[in-house]
Amino acid sequence: MTRRGPLITLCAVIVLAVIFLWANTLVAKPGSAAAPTSATSVPATSPWATSAPSTSASTSAGTTLHALYAGRSSGDQVTVAIAINGGKAAADLNAGLPSEVSMQGSVSGGRVTMTAQNGVGLEGSVSGQDMFGTITGFLGQSFPFSAAAAVVEAVYAGRSAGNQVTLSVVTDGDKAIGYVCNGRNVQAWLQGSVNGNQVTLTGRDGAGLTGTLSGLAMFGMVSPAAGVSFPFSAELSPRPAGVYQARITVDGLATRIGWAVLPDGIQLGVAVAGTTKYAAPPLDLGDDSFTLGGESYRASAVAGNQTVVTP
Amino acid sequence: MTTQQVAVAPPRDRWAKPLAVALAGGCAVALALGLYARLHHPARYALDVAGFSSPLYAKAWLTTAAVVFAVVQVATGWRISRQPTAPAPAWMAAVHRWSGRIAILLTVPVIVHCIYALGFQTYSARVYAHCVLGCIFYGAFVAKMLSLVRRDTMPRWVLPVLGFVVFVSLVALWATSALWLFATHGVHS
Repeated sequence: MTRRGPLITLCAVIVLAVIFLWANTLVAKPGSAAAPTSATSVPATSPWATSAPSTSASTSAGTTLHALYAGRSSGDQVTVAIAINGGKAAADLNAGLPSEVSMQGSVSGGRVTMTAQNGVGLEGSVSGQDMFGTITGFLGQSFPFSAAAAVVEAVYAGRSAGNQVTLSVVTDGDKAIGYVCNGRNVQAWLQGSVNGNQVTLTGRDGAGLTGTLSGLAMFGMVSPAAGVSFPFSAELSPRPAGVYQARITVDGLATRIGWAVLPDGIQLGVAVAGTTKYAAPPLDLGDDSFTLGGESYRASAVAGNQTVVTP
Repeated sequence: MTTQQVAVAPPRDRWAKPLAVALAGGCAVALALGLYARLHHPARYALDVAGFSSPLYAKAWLTTAAVVFAVVQVATGWRISRQPTAPAPAWMAAVHRWSGRIAILLTVPVIVHCIYALGFQTYSARVYAHCVLGCIFYGAFVAKMLSLVRRDTMPRWVLPVLGFVVFVSLVALWATSALWLFATHGVHS
């Protein structure tokens, strides 16, 4: 004899699970479309928490801030990572639970105010190289915290508005480098500095970039060559996003290859040998290796303080 | 006469196959859930249940409610399993079924959040155990449901054993999550 009751129960469970999963994907979409949600979940696992305090962040109250702070609550229960760019701020809270809390907010006169879903709030005030404040409503408690300014490499990756070029900019304190290319025959290496929330990079033959850091993104204009200029947006991105470079010899020709890699692993690169330019081979982001003409080579991620444009 | 005898005392090969199917189904579900949770990139974000201070507390209370219904389920199940010697009242079977259904449905939003937003994590013994227990719980539940479909052919020990596994894994799930949360972060909504 076959009974249907248990099967109906099973089906009810499956239907309910599918409904919840579907509702979740609907809810999660706006979160992933708004870059900060995905961008802010990165730092807790990477360098923010361990970076050493620095002296380069401009942190006097009232001026424009562009800084990253990492710290803990006084009882050590919560680690906090805070990014400030101009008047916008974002933070990640981690209490060793599987779920993190991502917050966003604003900066005004050295005071940082942030909120997240579930009523979690953060208030902090910048004092020299440190930030002090209180996290409220997190796991039903309030946590006083302190965080120190950190110099960290930050990667901003994105595209021009019309998708003509892809670019990655790596900042390291007040230094920055960038690479912009179209994946076929247009490319430029850029070098420059970060001043407050302004990024200014220059390259050879009239190439350049001016950008403004705002929240977790950079907006501005990029010129891969003289007389060509595109508006662009780039978001603060986790590895593997970045600028990658390889200098190799192919058929006796000194060849320099650059790649701009976006956070989703999409990469565009151009190889330059003398005056010849061609699409770069795909880069294996697992071990930074690539194959060209049957030979295997290795590329390296370029740091923000490296020299990529020789005068 | 012969058919009646078969119905009363089915030969071994009549229940071995349905039981094998039920257990294989349960194992497949446990494995599938574990693999999906492990391989799917955690969204770190999921739908909230209104009225709680955080998704964690919503999940903890849903699981607690599920455990309460599971206790009712096990109590009635234990009584029903003594059926041949002491027949249970008819309402008890209904209470058994519905407490079980409510309990399992209460866990669905929780497991969807666990798997979708967090995934299979191994960073501490508690979390590791919780993830494994979650797979076992749903696997045992599916095995029990599939066994129920052909329960007339099953030996009497099958359902109590599976029910016991479902109940113990649910209580262990609750202890490694809700109880831990209440103990470390306080009992509130």
